[in-house]
Formats: sequence, structure tokens, C-alpha cells
Amino acid sequence: MCKSYHKKIVLATMFSSFVFLGTAISAETMNTKGFTDREINAVGSAKALVSDSVKKTYEHNGKLVVDGGVVYPIVNGKTGAYHVNEQAHKTAFNKGKVATKNEQKAWDIDVMPDGTGLPEGSGSVELGDEIYEEKCISCHGDFGAGAGLYPRLTVGNAYELQKTLKNQRVEPDSDGPQRAFGSYWPYASTLWWYIKTGMPHQAPMSLTTEEVYALSAYILHVNEMKIDGEEVDEDYVLDREKFLKIVMPNVDGFEPKINGTKGQDNAREYFNNPLNYGNGVRCMKDCFEGEPKVQRIKFALTDFSPPLSSEKVLPEVKEEKDVHPGKSNYEASCAVCHATDAMGAPAVGDKKAWEATLKKGLDAVIANTMSGVNGMPPRGGSSLKDEELREVVDYMIESSK
Amino acid sequence: MNNIDNISKKELEVIAEVSEQASRRNFFKKTAVYSVSALAAASVVGPTSIKANEHIKANPEDDPHIMEEKPWALKWGDDVTVNLYGQPSPYEHKVTRRTAEILSSGNMRASIAVSPIQDLSGIITPNGLFFNRHHGGTPTIDPNQHRLMIHGLVEKPIVLTMEQLKKYPNVSRIHFLECPANGGPEWRGPQFNSIQFAKGFMSCAEWTGVYIKDILKDLGLKPEAQWMLAEGNDASHMGRTIPVDKVLDDAMIVWGQNGEALRPEQGYPIRIVVPGWEANLCVKWLNRLEFSAEPFYAKEETSKYTALKHTGKAIQHFYANEVNSVVTSPCPEKPWSDIKVGEMIEIEGLAWSGMGTITNVDISFDGGKNWVEASLKGLVLEKAWTRFSLMHKYTGKPMLLSSRASDDAGHIQPSVKNERAAVGIEGVYHRNAIHTWEIDAKGEVTNVQILS
Repeated sequence: MCKSYHKKIVLATMFSSFVFLGTAISAETMNTKGFTDREINAVGSAKALVSDSVKKTYEHNGKLVVDGGVVYPIVNGKTGAYHVNEQAHKTAFNKGKVATKNEQKAWDIDVMPDGTGLPEGSGSVELGDEIYEEKCISCHGDFGAGAGLYPRLTVGNAYELQKTLKNQRVEPDSDGPQRAFGSYWPYASTLWWYIKTGMPHQAPMSLTTEEVYALSAYILHVNEMKIDGEEVDEDYVLDREKFLKIVMPNVDGFEPKINGTKGQDNAREYFNNPLNYGNGVRCMKDCFEGEPKVQRIKFALTDFSPPLSSEKVLPEVKEEKDVHPGKSNYEASCAVCHATDAMGAPAVGDKKAWEATLKKGLDAVIANTMSGVNGMPPRGGSSLKDEELREVVDYMIESSK
Repeated sequence: MNNIDNISKKELEVIAEVSEQASRRNFFKKTAVYSVSALAAASVVGPTSIKANEHIKANPEDDPHIMEEKPWALKWGDDVTVNLYGQPSPYEHKVTRRTAEILSSGNMRASIAVSPIQDLSGIITPNGLFFNRHHGGTPTIDPNQHRLMIHGLVEKPIVLTMEQLKKYPNVSRIHFLECPANGGPEWRGPQFNSIQFAKGFMSCAEWTGVYIKDILKDLGLKPEAQWMLAEGNDASHMGRTIPVDKVLDDAMIVWGQNGEALRPEQGYPIRIVVPGWEANLCVKWLNRLEFSAEPFYAKEETSKYTALKHTGKAIQHFYANEVNSVVTSPCPEKPWSDIKVGEMIEIEGLAWSGMGTITNVDISFDGGKNWVEASLKGLVLEKAWTRFSLMHKYTGKPMLLSSRASDDAGHIQPSVKNERAAVGIEGVYHRNAIHTWEIDAKGEVTNVQILS
């Protein structure tokens, strides 16, 4: 069932959203925070790098501003540059109606790390594999290894790859940090919540509780994870109780610490120290030695749509053609996979691929469209009617002649 | 310029043609040939009204655009019922948002269209050019069926219709929204020779709505509430956790943008605006706010929108977009190739800080070794775009043109070197290092980074 997926994953990890670029961090002497003596001298003392003015407090509780910034209390009827009708902010206006328990239940779809919002239920890796092949593989690739620009769901063994998070791609061929669900996410609750409310991308909220448990189990499996010491293998059945025992390898990988009653206070402390995320020095003269070291574009990204232009010209007059009735449904529901052959689907416009497909005969092609074939789910995962699907198929064939 | 000349020439030919035609019927037949110009096609030009100034003999140094009457000045224009919702001039049709496949998460429903900041003036982005990022496509929401629920750790959970929401006293504020990945593709070096793609993941508008703290007045926020989930009713059901401190300061639920209703791609009918903070926190198509004691860990605050540092630890809940700036003129799209040596020219740009108000912007011509202070101009507002300006006598010599902004919170834009030292090069988000354009002897502009 779950053949070796490592090969696919290796291929996927070679793909990155952005082109690898070499970089050279300046070799000029700098202190541990990244400032040269010259820069520090420019502002008088190292203390000035963490400006004392970054210490503003909120009006409503007198505590440090949580983002390390400034607040603008109302003074003389104004906040900053804006006049204020202070009466507006002193009165209760009592609009709307009380939300019923049922209404709240219907909309309360989030799932939290402590299990709040996670329903009772279970699902197996085996079922997850089936659903994955039917509903997920067309975007996320074999075994969650990613496809095209779609996110990968695994990069291999979560525990091993969590160790790569310190990696920096300082050279074009160096290994970067491997970020995916297993190696990076702090809590599995996010996975359950996201699958339930956001997936499949074109049909969110369509999976049952069992299906979500099953897909969660499958994704834990392809990330080679363990729950309570037990490997999530091909025969594993995940349920709520087990789910709440999942400890993600990177659970301690995030700062500031936001859990517990000190959560906001920790954020306050963290963001009021700009050295945690970078700050500059207002040096005005002779700020570094020698000539500036210039890093230029090595691999320009130019795939701009529409192409860049500042010309002031009239639009080209487009001749009105008869629009094929299948075109709009194709673009809305089918182009994601059929625009190119990246998903293994015959690409629209690829004459040879369509000649090969049509050897089966038009009826067979229509039948496959309805029932699904290879990586394609029934009706391409769409909710189009039979007649609409026939029009789409006709459009795709006509466009590939 | 050439294209304008060409079109004008054609229009002039049309007019020349007209003067030779005796019958109006023939005129329409002939003008149809020149349908490339909408103006010409709509012409009803009398055969005798060609040149009021034809007695003047034009010399070669005279601008033909002055010497010849323009066709649009010789006939009626459109009546007031044309474009009841106005549109830009057709000559401006190339001023648009743009996207690139590399910026998507697989398809164009989870992607971004970036703002043409090279073409904008002042600090307000027109609604049609406001950058646009969504995670599951833009829904078309019926406002009559849309509701906002506020529940969780409040004494009185409520539901509001859009009409009820708009009955709260409203406030209007000018704030930028910036995707925290603005500039994010360039942590390891410059990649886009374009300001629109290098810095256009942001826009600035006047927002009208209600402070959330004003709604909370009669809901009874419980003391243990530390966090608020904001959730949208689009296909991605995107949620983000916002600390209650910010909710009680300046977070707003808005329905108005630059004087009109939010556009669908901006969250119609309502979105949150969390002034100065990651635009991703400004959840669109908002339908639920839930208060809690613990953070929610939504997908877009764990898998994404966390900044991985060289220590292996990632910054989460990275709220404010830090102080930042960029020179918008010149830029790769607006070079100085037509500026003559010795000519005076304005260097102009945008500065912004999600932590406060811009206090000053410095300009360097030598890649950041020496700096001079630029002027701020126009409105200088907190958490809003601020224009800066410096007059320059063009020397025609190559230069490295950088800008560096500071804000009233005490933050100063770091150099590329300072920022890489603090967080490394894998952070993706919140890159606010000093931006530099290299200008060559021809006045062409390219995107570079200075590592000194």
C-alpha cells in the first residue's frame, strides 16, 4: 500500500519556492548582535541600539505595548492627527442580538492544542491513504511530497528533519531548513482544524470527522511520526485520545512563548527588544570601511503577469469570438490540473496527449470524466452537471487539435 | 511616446480624410478602418472645423500636438451616463495589479496580486489597485445573509447583521496594510528587477468602521481573555489570533475603504484592520471573533507567517510590520534614462512603520556609507504611508541610491548586514532592511543589496 515514498520526497525537497542564491555575510568585525564598532560609535553606546524610547505603555492596562511600538492616547480630543468624539468611546450601544448556543456551536469550528473543538471519532491510515489518493494527490503529490508550487505535507522523518531548522542557504547548493507539518508545526491540532475547514482546497468543509482523522493519521504516517512511543504505521488507527497525545518534534521551536497566563507578557518583553528581530543605527557619515559590497541579481524572476509596462497606450481591440460553452467551467474547475501536464493529466493544447487519450473513444473519455481516472477524482472534484462536463470535455478536445 | 505619436497621427489622418469627404456616410465607413482608436470611432466631426489656426505656418521646432487641433477637442465627449461607476482613462490600462506564478501556493486562488506602487501618487491607494492576497479565492458574499458573531470569553455573546454593525459610531483612519512577506523573496539577495514585485505587497487606504473596543463595551470581556480569534467566511476559513491588548487599543472592524464599500477582494462586506500589523491578521470576509485564554494556533500562524531564525527558533505572533522605506522614483519601472546631466530632479519615496509614525528618512547616494536627511511631505500619520522627497542635481554618474527610515518608537531600518546578523536569511517574513537601487550611467535602475 504505502510504497517507499522517500524517492519522491527527495525530489520534492529539491524544489523550493524561490531560487537559491548565494550570499555573503560581511566579514567586517561585528559584535554578537551584528553591529560594528563604527556603528555603535555613531550612536554613542551599544545601549542606544535598543532605543529607550521603545518603552510605551497602553492606556487601558499600563503595560508595555505588545508589539514594541507606540500608542496614541486621546489628548485634548485628538488621537495622533485625528479628532475624536470621545462620547462615542464612552457609551455602550447594545446592537445585535444574543447568539444562541446552537448558533455558536454551528460556527465554532476551531480546534485548539488542548483538544477544545476536537470531536470524538477515529480514522485509519489505510482509509487516509485511500482518501488521499482520491482527493489530495492531484495537488500535494505522491505521499504528500508536494507538486508544483503546492505545499508539501512531509519532507520525510519529522524528528530528523526538525534538526535542519538551523540550516541557512548561504550558498546556492547548501541544504536549507526543511519546513513541513512534521518537522516544523508546533501542534497537530492545527492540522486537524485546517483539513476540516480548508481542505480539499476547492471543496472545504466536505470531509467527515472520520475522513479528517484518517487523513491526519496518513499525514502523521508519511512524516514517520510516533504517538506515545508507537510508530504511526500502515495499520495505525487514530482516535481523539491518541490525537491528544501527539507531541510535535518542534513544539519548543517558537518564540516568544505565548501559552499560559503570561502569554501576552512574554510577547511584550520579546517585541520590546528589537535586537530579537533586527534594528538599525542612524549613522550619517562614513558608516563602513572601503567601497560598498554590492550583491546584484543572479537569477532574475521575470514571470510577471501582465508584463511590466508604464506605457500610456490604448488597449488593443479584441475581436469578439464565439465563446465555447465549456470554457468558463474548464477554467474554474479543471484548469488547475489540465493547464499543464504537471499533474499527469493530459494538458489542454497538447495534441499528442489528447490523441492518445481519445484512442479510448469519446464515450470512454466521458465515462472516465464522470467516474475519475488515475489521479483525477470523479468529475475532477467538481460539482458540475453531466451536460456541463460534456461541454468541458468538448472544449478541451477542441482546444487541443 | 512613440505609441502616442502613432495614434495621434492616425487620428490626424482620420481628420484629413474627413476634410476630403463630402458625405457623412462615407466618413463613417472610412473611420471604421481606424477603430484602433475609440476616440476616432466615436467622432462626429464636421468637415469644416479642422484647424482654427490653419493660417499659421508650422515650423519644424513647433510641437505638432500644439499646432494641430486635437480630435477630442472638436467634438462632443461622452455624456454623463457613460461609466456610471467611473473607470480610469483607457490610456492608463497598464497601471494594474500584477502577479507571478512563483508567488502562488499552487493556484491563483491562493496567491497575491501586487500593487503598482511605481505608478501611485500621494499616500492613498485606489481601491482597484490595492494589493490582494487570499487563500481560497475571493467569495461573492451577500451582505444581507452575512453575520458577525462575537463570542467566547464574554458575558454576552452576540450576533450582528451588517446593518446593525454599521449603527455603531464609526471612525475613519488612514493605515497601510502590508503583507509581511513584502520583500520576503529577497532574503538571500535581490531577485525582482521591479519595485512592484520587490516592494508592492502593500497599499494604504482610509478605512471606515468601528473600534472593536467600542462593541465590547456592553459584552463584558472576561478578565482571563488574552486572545481573540478572527475568522473569515471564505473557502479558506482563515483564522488568526490577535492579543486582547491590541483589540482594546486600535483594532477595527471596517466596511469602508476610501469612501466606498470594501471591494470583494478586500473582504466585502467586512474585514478587520489591525493597524500596522501583518495584513494577514486583517482577516477578510470576517464572520467570527472568539475570545479565549489560550492562543489558537491557526494554520496561518504556525505553518506560515512565522519567521525562522538562524538559531533554529522561529518568531511566532510576529505582529507589527517594522519601519521600512523605498525610493519609488527613480525605480526600475521609472528610470532616469530621460534625465539630462545637470537637470534638477526629485527623488521621491514611501516610508512606513507599523509601530508608529515616521520621524525621518535619510538618503544615501553611495550605498549607505554617507547619508543626508530627506524632507517628509504631505500628511505624516501613524501607521500610514509617508512620502519623502529630496531634490537632486543629476550628475549622470553611476550611484547606489538607498533610503533609511526611523519611527517614533525608536526603530531604525537595519542594513542588510544588521538584519541578516539578527535573524539569518531563512525568515521569509518581516524583511525591512534598507533597500538600494543601482543607477548606471544611462540612468537605468536595478535592484541590488548592499552587504557592507
